[in-house]
Amino acid sequence: MNQFSPFEDQLGSLLPRLRRFAHTLSRDPADADDLTQATIERALRSKAQWEPGTRLDSWCYRIMRNLWIDTARSRSRKAVHEAPEEEGLNVGEDPRDAIDATVDLKRVMAAMARLPDEQREVVALILVEGFGYREVSEMLGLPIGTVSSRLVRGRTALLAMVGES
Amino acid sequence: MNDDEKFFAWLDGELEPVDAAEMKAKVAADPELRRMAEQHRALGAQMRSAFDPIAAALVPERLQAALRPTTQVIDFAAAKRARSLLALAQWTALAATLAIGIFVGTRVPHVTDAPVEAQGGKLYAAAAVNQALDSQLASAPAGNVRIGLTYRDQAGEICRTFTATAASGVACRNGGRWQMKGLFAAPEGQDSSYRMAAGMDPNLAALVGSTMAGEPFDAAAERATKAKGWR
Repeated sequence: MNQFSPFEDQLGSLLPRLRRFAHTLSRDPADADDLTQATIERALRSKAQWEPGTRLDSWCYRIMRNLWIDTARSRSRKAVHEAPEEEGLNVGEDPRDAIDATVDLKRVMAAMARLPDEQREVVALILVEGFGYREVSEMLGLPIGTVSSRLVRGRTALLAMVGES
Repeated sequence: MNDDEKFFAWLDGELEPVDAAEMKAKVAADPELRRMAEQHRALGAQMRSAFDPIAAALVPERLQAALRPTTQVIDFAAAKRARSLLALAQWTALAATLAIGIFVGTRVPHVTDAPVEAQGGKLYAAAAVNQALDSQLASAPAGNVRIGLTYRDQAGEICRTFTATAASGVACRNGGRWQMKGLFAAPEGQDSSYRMAAGMDPNLAALVGSTMAGEPFDAAAERATKAKGWR
């Protein structure tokens, strides 16, 4: 990352990864892009709070995660009544090769959406985003043992949902 | 750290060398642990291959725009220029083939086999691509253009993906025409039959995945929508 480039440029170069993180947290792609946009706006407004020399990526991931917790909390009450849980999982049986990539994404997103929030964020940060346990522990303000035990439960549940097919 | 946690920390490369060596030996000696390691490595790979296309895809324009709040811009013309430059940059990044398409489509309008044509600042399917989008069913490929998915996007338009000789893309039905939503160049040195077998371009897959509403149409729904003029 270029230390001398303006904040906005650095943020811009993080956008593809932030979008991916948003897709791992959200129930659907439109929510994910809304979350990404809210994160950009919050990061720009909070620019003065970022300490140059520290990692901008961790700082932005933390903003996104906090925004997501806020919206997920208000959504979860609705979602209990809506949740068409199996819908996303069944599409894996479609035989057409060309749609595999899209279907994989939908299927994995559906499975991720069924994990409890606190497991989903740890699974996303470590398995998809490639952060280390200690980085995630600092980012989320959790003891490393908590990160580790949530990761075990989350990935075990996820394997049961997507790994067998 | 309990045994499970230690096992996964080993799998993730998080153990100190001495502990890692011990766990490695333990896994090697235990078929059940070996199977678990394989399953979880495969799960990690599956997760990454599902989500990585998002990070490899173009960032939607509205997110790019959110980075550059327009409140400080007082010169409307300058803002407009900046927007069109941004759009230009995005299109340029989209694909080399697209550049060829625009070039041929706008500068040499009488060339009839260009896959796209520009009109009113929008790009539309033309020639063989247009014909395939209009008439071809995924189940009955013909000619050099192959249709992939048909689906409804979040704006309610019917969209279809296609693979042509040098590119693949997606177009949506808008005002009685097929408007290009994305066009991606084929990787250099791959011929089209290989690409068709290899599946959808990851950028295209990400674009489709992030705009599709519901599920792709099956063969019956595709036929029915065709009969209704792609509405």
